[in-house]
Amino acid sequence: MPDGFSRRGRGRPSASLIAGAAIVGVLLATVALAHVLAPYPFDQFHIHDRFSPPSLKYLAGTDEYGRDVFSRVLIGSQLSMTLGLVSTIICMGLGVPIGLLCGSVRGLADELVMRLLDLLMAFPPILLVLLILVVTPPGLLKTSVAIGILFIAPVARLARSLTLDLMNAGFTEAARARGEYLWYLLLCEFLPNMWPTLLVEASLRLVFAVLMGAVLSFLSFGVQPPASDWGLMISGGRAFVDNAPWIALAPGIAMAITVIGISLLGDGLRDRLHPQFSGKG
Amino acid sequence: MTRAYLARRLLGIAVTLAAMSCLVFLATHALPANTAALILGPYATPATQAAMEHRLGLDQPLLSQYLSWAGGLLRGDLGQSAVMQRPVKPILAAALENSAVLAAAAMVLVTVAGITLGTVGAVWRGRWPDHAVAIFAYSGLAVPEFYWGLILILVFCSRLHLLPSSGAGSAAQGLVSVAAHLVLPVLTLAFSFLAHVSRIVRSSMLDVLVRPFIMAARGRGLPEYRVILRHALPNALIPAVTVLAQDFGNMIGGVVAVETIFAYPGIGRLLVYALERLDLPVMQACILVITAIFCAANLAADLITAALDPRIRLGAAHA
Amino acid sequence: MIATPALPPGLLGIDDLSIGYGGGQMRGLAVRDVSLRLAPGGALGIVGESGSGKTSVALAILGLLGPAAEMRGLIAFEGQVLAAPPSKAMAPRQHRALLGRRIGTVFQDPFSALNPSRRVGVQIAEPMRHHLRVGRADALARTLRLLAEMGFDHPQDIARCYPHQLSGGMQQRAAIAAALSCQPSLLILDEPTTALDVTVEAQILALLAGVRRRHGMALFVISHNLRVIEALCDDVCVMYAGMIVERGPVARVFRDPGHPYTIGLLGSRPRISAPARARLPAIPGYGQGAAREETGCVFARRCTMREGACDGEQAPVRAVDPDHLVLCWKHPARPQADRPALPPSLRDAGRVHEQLVVAAGLSKSYGRSAAAAVDGVSFTIAEGEILGLVGESGCGKSTLGRLVLGLAAANAGSVRFAGSDIGMLKDGALRGFRREAQLIFQNTSSALNPRHTIGRALARPLQLFEMVPPSLRSQRVRELLGMVQLPSDYAFRYPHELSGGERQRVAIARALATEPRFIVCDEPVSALDVSVQAAILNLLADLRDTQGVGYLFISHDLAAVGQIADRIAVMYRGKICEIGETFQILGAPQNAYTKTLVASGRQDVLF
Repeated sequence: MPDGFSRRGRGRPSASLIAGAAIVGVLLATVALAHVLAPYPFDQFHIHDRFSPPSLKYLAGTDEYGRDVFSRVLIGSQLSMTLGLVSTIICMGLGVPIGLLCGSVRGLADELVMRLLDLLMAFPPILLVLLILVVTPPGLLKTSVAIGILFIAPVARLARSLTLDLMNAGFTEAARARGEYLWYLLLCEFLPNMWPTLLVEASLRLVFAVLMGAVLSFLSFGVQPPASDWGLMISGGRAFVDNAPWIALAPGIAMAITVIGISLLGDGLRDRLHPQFSGKG
Repeated sequence: MTRAYLARRLLGIAVTLAAMSCLVFLATHALPANTAALILGPYATPATQAAMEHRLGLDQPLLSQYLSWAGGLLRGDLGQSAVMQRPVKPILAAALENSAVLAAAAMVLVTVAGITLGTVGAVWRGRWPDHAVAIFAYSGLAVPEFYWGLILILVFCSRLHLLPSSGAGSAAQGLVSVAAHLVLPVLTLAFSFLAHVSRIVRSSMLDVLVRPFIMAARGRGLPEYRVILRHALPNALIPAVTVLAQDFGNMIGGVVAVETIFAYPGIGRLLVYALERLDLPVMQACILVITAIFCAANLAADLITAALDPRIRLGAAHA
Repeated sequence: MIATPALPPGLLGIDDLSIGYGGGQMRGLAVRDVSLRLAPGGALGIVGESGSGKTSVALAILGLLGPAAEMRGLIAFEGQVLAAPPSKAMAPRQHRALLGRRIGTVFQDPFSALNPSRRVGVQIAEPMRHHLRVGRADALARTLRLLAEMGFDHPQDIARCYPHQLSGGMQQRAAIAAALSCQPSLLILDEPTTALDVTVEAQILALLAGVRRRHGMALFVISHNLRVIEALCDDVCVMYAGMIVERGPVARVFRDPGHPYTIGLLGSRPRISAPARARLPAIPGYGQGAAREETGCVFARRCTMREGACDGEQAPVRAVDPDHLVLCWKHPARPQADRPALPPSLRDAGRVHEQLVVAAGLSKSYGRSAAAAVDGVSFTIAEGEILGLVGESGCGKSTLGRLVLGLAAANAGSVRFAGSDIGMLKDGALRGFRREAQLIFQNTSSALNPRHTIGRALARPLQLFEMVPPSLRSQRVRELLGMVQLPSDYAFRYPHELSGGERQRVAIARALATEPRFIVCDEPVSALDVSVQAAILNLLADLRDTQGVGYLFISHDLAAVGQIADRIAVMYRGKICEIGETFQILGAPQNAYTKTLVASGRQDVLF
């Protein structure tokens, strides 16, 4: 049956796609192998070498207890990325089906859910998360879940808006004229058209989750010591920014590289996945 | 904008605030730790703890606590800070004033610079100004604002000793002092949102610049600067305003972090302080005020969008 | 010393213009060696279908081609050279200064010609304030005069409106006023009446002819609509694949075409006065864009009169008359005498009489206070019968089409299909109805899911209704593609790789996949080039005659409907105002509205 996914190459991948993919690849490898790659365990003290600047022995210097900053950054990546990924999975996994169903079924259920989501979005984002975290003691998993719940509303709105557009498409009307069932329409007709945008949105949510996780940790509402993600490291390094700036700067640089890599990948994928560009009428 | 629309929106805001107040109340009273014990410290006896609880009204049933608190709110009485032993209202008002100055300055900077940079990026698309703006944008988005704050402190305070790194400066010390204390926080706050806004404006301008009426305007021989400024930009700003309003909401999160880094005595710092100390009345009051501001900002954005887009303002067609 | 090229005489002159987009000059030329002349006050039309390069010529004159285009040749206007690369003849700023002041332009799509955020009056006044330095009060006065000339009764009200507050026809008139703002000597019009109803089109054409007369202005009209060219122009150039294949006075070229493409174009127009149930002689194959690096005549591939010489070398220019020139080896080319043989009609043979669809008292309105979109409509359609439904946009015909298929819920009335009320059908019976009643509609850009290959789109109905066992599906898909004259390897392509006409044919094949007995066609051919239109109308008529398929054929194009329909219903504001046999409606309409409609469509009385 002629059903091949025969997508012809449209020329070389763009620079941002290659760069983004490379960075994300390295990042994932780092997260997976952090404990192997780190030269020192993250909580090993070297009291005599406290506050040493970056050198060959300690690639990013040491902090106030003599712990190797570079190792801590590598290991911290596991926490920061886990936080980001869990949040993203939650908000996409729940938000997309909600948006799909609301946009296609409409009616009273749609109205109610949208009002509820509007209410959720009417709260300042950080307050919502803080409220949740004030009630239950924060920790990696709870913070990720809180952020994930927060992001359900914008994802659902996006999915719903995409669904509404597709409901007006010609092929939707053709499908209804064939008497297709709703699940076929959503899964086989709509979703293939939506997933490029959703992929880009997922990369955006991942970035926001990592950043918000860092802010929360910075404010002591995220990961709790002795575990240390990047936000907490920056917060800890704040006091020493005069004489040992590397303690705070190193995790920030790591975060910047991560965010830039994911953003480049997202942008590159979006530019590549839109095949309708070259269509001649 | 019809009166009915305004009325509906205001009702929506009231509902939101009511819901938020319930949420806050429930959250704070679901705290696992005993508030009174926390306030009194580890040496409290059961008797003093009970007395404190009675004083704070914590031994009443939940609903009556809520109603008395809500009633107080509506009367304008924000209660008494449990930790600072002072009325909440003046503390809140002072903090709000400081934050308002900070946020307003940052919003102005974000709006003006964001629109300019976005337009530059769109008009010179693909050439070096666009790339420069893009790099600027990426760096703003790459790390949370408190990180840039740290770097700015490092450069301007520790190394160059040019600007103060904390506090607000007051009118008594002169405008220069106030301004000096504001520069770094405003820059920090504005930077990340500047990036976002300039990307959105750029993308919106690119959309508008390919629309047929732009070619028609060029076809009438109008010079390029006029086409961009008077024909393209007003249309491109309409979607951008919505985003600006959303960003204002996100900026509230940024305000919290920035005020913490710079020890700036605004409402964000007050909130963090209250959360850490579990100072319930202050916490509740801060959250409600921030939510109200957020809703008002969204409403303002919708009204501005409607004012800019004649299609929404004036509705349907003639014969 | 560089010799300055001799300037072409007249108001506008173009010599050997060639335009290519991206890549080398020799491959993918959108326009090839085009030359033309326009005298002051004259009117020249360019006829061509999509991909013929006509819009590129206009953009070249305006200097709006964009950085991706490469241009050769000479363009002169009012004695000044506009463009003559490589030696720069006119600085872009000077060129811009000419636009609007001496050359006015009206682009297609009236709904997006004006800035939606500014008032209409301001936009009309803007060019004169900028170019002619007219003061505000003076500009306002002139604007109001212009609007009055455009036929507006209350110019002050219109000037204060925003574009979205005006209808399509009004927006187009406002756009024309903006183009005339500085009293230019040349007005360029690119598809000025596409997307407008037939009656509005007639108004605009009359308006333009009047403006030309009063101001002595020259017109340069680009269109694929032959009616527009006929109404406005003195001379015409016919373009195909970037070259001018025929030129001459309009009356002469349209009455006595010399080039096979022109003959095919004129012949494949559906005409109200054509003999009933005739097949249209369609141009075989499909159009192509930029001329490839081929030798020989550009049109040879599709030409029914081609000979050996046609493949070898580009044809020379032959003169039928001193001012009527044709680019063809065979001269004078005469139309082929063979009309395709008509298959015997089932209806005529008296074999089918059964009432397939019976609609009674259908009504639908949206919202509480809005007027009814469909108001008490009743009609019947027999097997093997085509009922045409005509009316202007907004009269409710699309809504009616959806009601008949049960895709929208009616507020009142019923539809019976093969005896059963479709509102009562459930499950198996409903699926059966869905299989037997299908829909073809206008929107070619989204009719096919962009993420599915053509083959998958065609196979889905086969799979859903279990029309053929899985092993035979790919073969059936190939057969369906063959029915609409598309090569079978198209099954592996994606919709964006096909042209609009090809996508429409795929949509039709998809509707035919379930072997329906009844098809609702909603503007199935309006967005297509004339030559493709003919092929599709022929296909639909064939199915009616050989398989007894019944159609509800909805269109605003009375000529197309008249070509194919057995009976016609005329719709106005939600009601059927007249219904009857085709020859009766077209020949002797009774209702006042029907008369207006038929009169507007009857502009090709020449033939």
